Amino acid sequence: MSARPEAARRRSIRVRGISVWLIALLVALVATIQIRSQAEVERSLVGADATSLAFLIDDLHRANDSLAVEKSDLGNQRAKLESGQTGAADQVLTDEASRLRAIEGLTPVHGPGVVIVIDASGLTALDLQDALNNLAAGGAEAVDVNDRRVIMGVPVYQTNGGVTIDSAIVMPPWTISVIGDANRLGVVADLMTQQLRADRRVRAATYRVEADVAIRSVLTEKPFVYAVAS
Amino acid sequence: MSSRNLASIALLALVALATGFVLAGQVKAQLLTPSNQLARYQALVRSVQELEGTNADSRRQIASLRGQIDSLESQAAAQSAATQALKNEVADLRAHAGLVAMRGPGVEVTLRNGVPGPDSGSQTGYLVNFEDVQDVVNLLFAQGAEGIAVNGRRLTPLSEFSGSAGEVVIDQGPPFTSPIKVVAVGDRNRMQAALDDPSALPGVRARQVQFQVHLTFLGNPDLSLPAYDSSLQIPHVSPT
Repeated sequence: MSARPEAARRRSIRVRGISVWLIALLVALVATIQIRSQAEVERSLVGADATSLAFLIDDLHRANDSLAVEKSDLGNQRAKLESGQTGAADQVLTDEASRLRAIEGLTPVHGPGVVIVIDASGLTALDLQDALNNLAAGGAEAVDVNDRRVIMGVPVYQTNGGVTIDSAIVMPPWTISVIGDANRLGVVADLMTQQLRADRRVRAATYRVEADVAIRSVLTEKPFVYAVAS
Repeated sequence: MSSRNLASIALLALVALATGFVLAGQVKAQLLTPSNQLARYQALVRSVQELEGTNADSRRQIASLRGQIDSLESQAAAQSAATQALKNEVADLRAHAGLVAMRGPGVEVTLRNGVPGPDSGSQTGYLVNFEDVQDVVNLLFAQGAEGIAVNGRRLTPLSEFSGSAGEVVIDQGPPFTSPIKVVAVGDRNRMQAALDDPSALPGVRARQVQFQVHLTFLGNPDLSLPAYDSSLQIPHVSPT
């Protein structure tokens, strides 16, 4: 008589135990989903917002287009060298030397672009550096400020006497000549001059788009003392 | 009711309560971030990742093409003294343009995000930004650097810095975030002395105090710089 209720009681305990384990498993599952979902949300909110991502996508598209052009150009150079035609290598090397001298600011250059004139008192090296950064982002390929060639590595500093480029003071008004895609540079120059005109320190800020901007200033190549090719 | 029964019921109640809380949290999180918003965000992230993949592939191909061109030029130069002279000139120009890997003594500078101030609100002064990196780079170039790489990205005469708070974009990206490592090969003593000068890099130093932004550097007798692996086009420039 007493064996049956005992068996039923044991079964009931077992079922209850299994239920508890099942519920605990469910809790663990839901908790994992919850934590992962929150981590995902946090990552998305802390990392970057959708607008920043959209800008990043735009930048990457432009960068990849630019890399594709470089690949195509290098492919053409390789094909020319592989052709084995007389003088092909000399032609490729001569073109490359000419291009690199222009990139490094070692030769006078010309091309389409913009000329910006900023007349102001109290502008600092930071203001000039900002302008140069904006123009670089707008596709500047060669830059000159008051007959001083500017490339990466040419220091722009603030001193007691004013703003210096490569240790030479550049007194206002600043005339910034830039060669590159005139349309893109025109948009950048327009925005820049609008902002500058709203600045109390600025007396005048104008720009003109030109079909042929001439940059005559050059830099002197500094031979390497410490670095060796590896 | 036995004590074991009571314990089981209490345990069940506890587990049910926990389940309730977790489910409520899940529902709340989904209400805060509607699933379609998250999906849109994830699609954007996927796009960025794909574009970054393409970017990396293109860089590898460009590096490989430059290597092949160099070999072909060397073969041609071996057959003619005039071509060899041209090749030497181009090699020197390429080295100055950052198109050749180089090594030598120098310094490694590390910039790392600080911590947000207690009442800094939406201020981002604790984040390393592109101006900080540009300031360090300008200082190093002014003090004898002959070549510089930032997080393994070699700088060229046309290099440009941009970005937003906490993001540093150099040339054709993709963006870097803290920590940022600037490696410069050149006059190690001059560069170290300049970095030691408390009046140098005033912007970063002020934020070292305010937000504990990190700026550390270390001299090294032998550092390596990779070759530039991106676009160096000047389609609108013609030599006069």
